[in-house]
Amino acid sequence: MSQNLISIKSVTKSFTKGKTTITPLENLSLEVPRTEFLSLMGPSGSGKTTLLNLIAGIDSPTSGQIIIDGTDISTLSRAQLTKWRASHVGYIFQLYHLVPILSAYENVELPLLLGNFSKSERKKKILAALDLVGLSDRADHRPSELSGGQEQRVAIARAIVHDPELLVADEPTGDLDRESADSILNLLNTLAKEHGKTIVMVTHDPKASAAAHRALQLEKGQFSSEGNLLNTH
Amino acid sequence: MKLLILALKNLTRNRLRSLLTILGVAAGMFLYSSVQTMQHSLTIATEGNAVDTTLIVYRENRFCPMTSRLPEHYMPTIKRIEGVREVIPIQIAVNNCGASLDVITFRGVPPERLRKYNPNIKVIEGSYEQFVKQTDAALVGQHFAERRGLSAGSKFEAVGVNVTVAGIISSDSPQDENVAYVHLPFLQQASKLGLGIVTQFNVKVESADLLDSIASKIDETFKSDQQPTNTRPEKAFFADTAKQMIELIGFTRWLGLGAVFAVLGLVANAVLLIVRGRVKETAILQTLGFSRLAIGLMVVFEGILLGLVGGLIGVIGAMAFFHYKSFTLGNEGLTLALAPSTSVTLTGLGVAVALGLLASLYPAWKATSRPLVQSLSS
Ligand SMILES: Nc1ncnc2c1ncn2[C@@H]1O[C@H](COP(=O)(O)OP(=O)(O)OP(=O)(O)O)[C@@H](O)[C@H]1O
Ligand SMILES: [Mg+2]
Repeated sequence: MSQNLISIKSVTKSFTKGKTTITPLENLSLEVPRTEFLSLMGPSGSGKTTLLNLIAGIDSPTSGQIIIDGTDISTLSRAQLTKWRASHVGYIFQLYHLVPILSAYENVELPLLLGNFSKSERKKKILAALDLVGLSDRADHRPSELSGGQEQRVAIARAIVHDPELLVADEPTGDLDRESADSILNLLNTLAKEHGKTIVMVTHDPKASAAAHRALQLEKGQFSSEGNLLNTH
Repeated sequence: MKLLILALKNLTRNRLRSLLTILGVAAGMFLYSSVQTMQHSLTIATEGNAVDTTLIVYRENRFCPMTSRLPEHYMPTIKRIEGVREVIPIQIAVNNCGASLDVITFRGVPPERLRKYNPNIKVIEGSYEQFVKQTDAALVGQHFAERRGLSAGSKFEAVGVNVTVAGIISSDSPQDENVAYVHLPFLQQASKLGLGIVTQFNVKVESADLLDSIASKIDETFKSDQQPTNTRPEKAFFADTAKQMIELIGFTRWLGLGAVFAVLGLVANAVLLIVRGRVKETAILQTLGFSRLAIGLMVVFEGILLGLVGGLIGVIGAMAFFHYKSFTLGNEGLTLALAPSTSVTLTGLGVAVALGLLASLYPAWKATSRPLVQSLSS
């Protein structure tokens, strides 16, 4: 087993709309070791979300390789990618994106419906995930009955319930107050340290970035600085 | 399975919209089912079948029972023709000769001959003997009795004729269900036509392939008589005589087609709105790993559910409507009972489901064909 969970090799991504071509990522390489909590920062439009989507298998690169846990996902078709995502990635969005008509429990259940789990197995996993994010007592609540911080916790439970190795988060604290943001960051840290998750997080918030093991600065499709941060653990 | 439940839950999200769509579908399917009921009833009445061995002898060039007058004494002559099994003279009196929704038809027949001519008539209430005994007695078709709330022993009046119900009958011939059989001489007197005049003869022949030859033989026999005849198989007679009614019902086919398109447009529009409002959510589900097929199926389920629920209300509503109203369309003394049928009901439901499916195919495709990143960032 390779030591790096993510291995990105000279990836270029461009979007073509009509006659104009935008290349937010050009010849980019990156290695992310297992259980690392990595933060990506950079100005708006620098290609952070684009990179994250490539890592999460939501989009495919124009050229280059993206090898995750030994699989080159840049060669997979759209349908294959969908299947791959179902078992390998948990995605955490800035705006949580829970399904409003489903309870917290049912939202967390969604990824499990794609696997072969019995009802009781699902229940066990869901309760464990909700417990981990500290929301065991809110299982029956609808998203509208939860605070933003709580919604994000449910979203994190949804992202980890099927036990993927990789978690990606696009500005997970961008819409939260300081206190909620800090507790989400603590949670992500715990997931990396104690549960062996590899986490890639995009953020604009230096404090959020400081919570990660390593922070990368993306500018115009290139990493401009790298550091094994100010990190105190 | 879980997808189905999710689709169902999704429909309760915008309750008002779902409800309005379902009501629209129900109205459309009600119309469609009503039209189909008419078409179906008409088909049963006009389409010839192999076992049909009845000829109707009518006055040539006459279409209304009030103007068709034939001498009763033609009967023995017809009876003697080879291949004829049974003949019955019938005097018909109706309250309305044109097209009408509530016709009352009296058929005057020689009482003792009725059973011999048509052994399939079953007396389900009262008795045949009572009918034969009493001059002003009537045997009333089941459908007719239901419509007017009659039972054995009740008296009623129509077209200036007063009768007492001696029995209620059921028969496999739809026409029998909608008439009141009375004594021929009694009706001849009551309708002031006078004895010896009848409207038509009904002739049973030995086998269906003799129908045409016997018909021409009968017409040949009376050709140079004062009252020439025109003889046709019963269903052809129905088709010729009730032309107005048939044309009218034929026209309603277009209404049915219109209803189908209305339902299709309505469901398609509703599902398209649903899909539009949920672009992001659909993208999230795909991010979680739901396949495009699964997402598409969910959209289609929603369309089918709308069609099915609306269809159930509309189709069953139409069935109940025709059942309780028991309409009898009449034209020129012939009656067409608009009766609900299981086949029409089931077809109606099938059509509703198919429309739901058809209407949601495009939205389903639309929901899943966009690139994922694009939907996520919308
Ligand atoms: N689907 C797309 N089609 C065309 N251009 C796109 C698409 N997605 C991103 N881009 C372009 O790529 C560039 C990088 O976008 P990206 O979303 O990765 O930036 P970002 O770093 O996440 O910015 P922000 O901090 O504002 O979220 C932008 O110029 C954007 O307009
Ligand atoms: Mg972004």
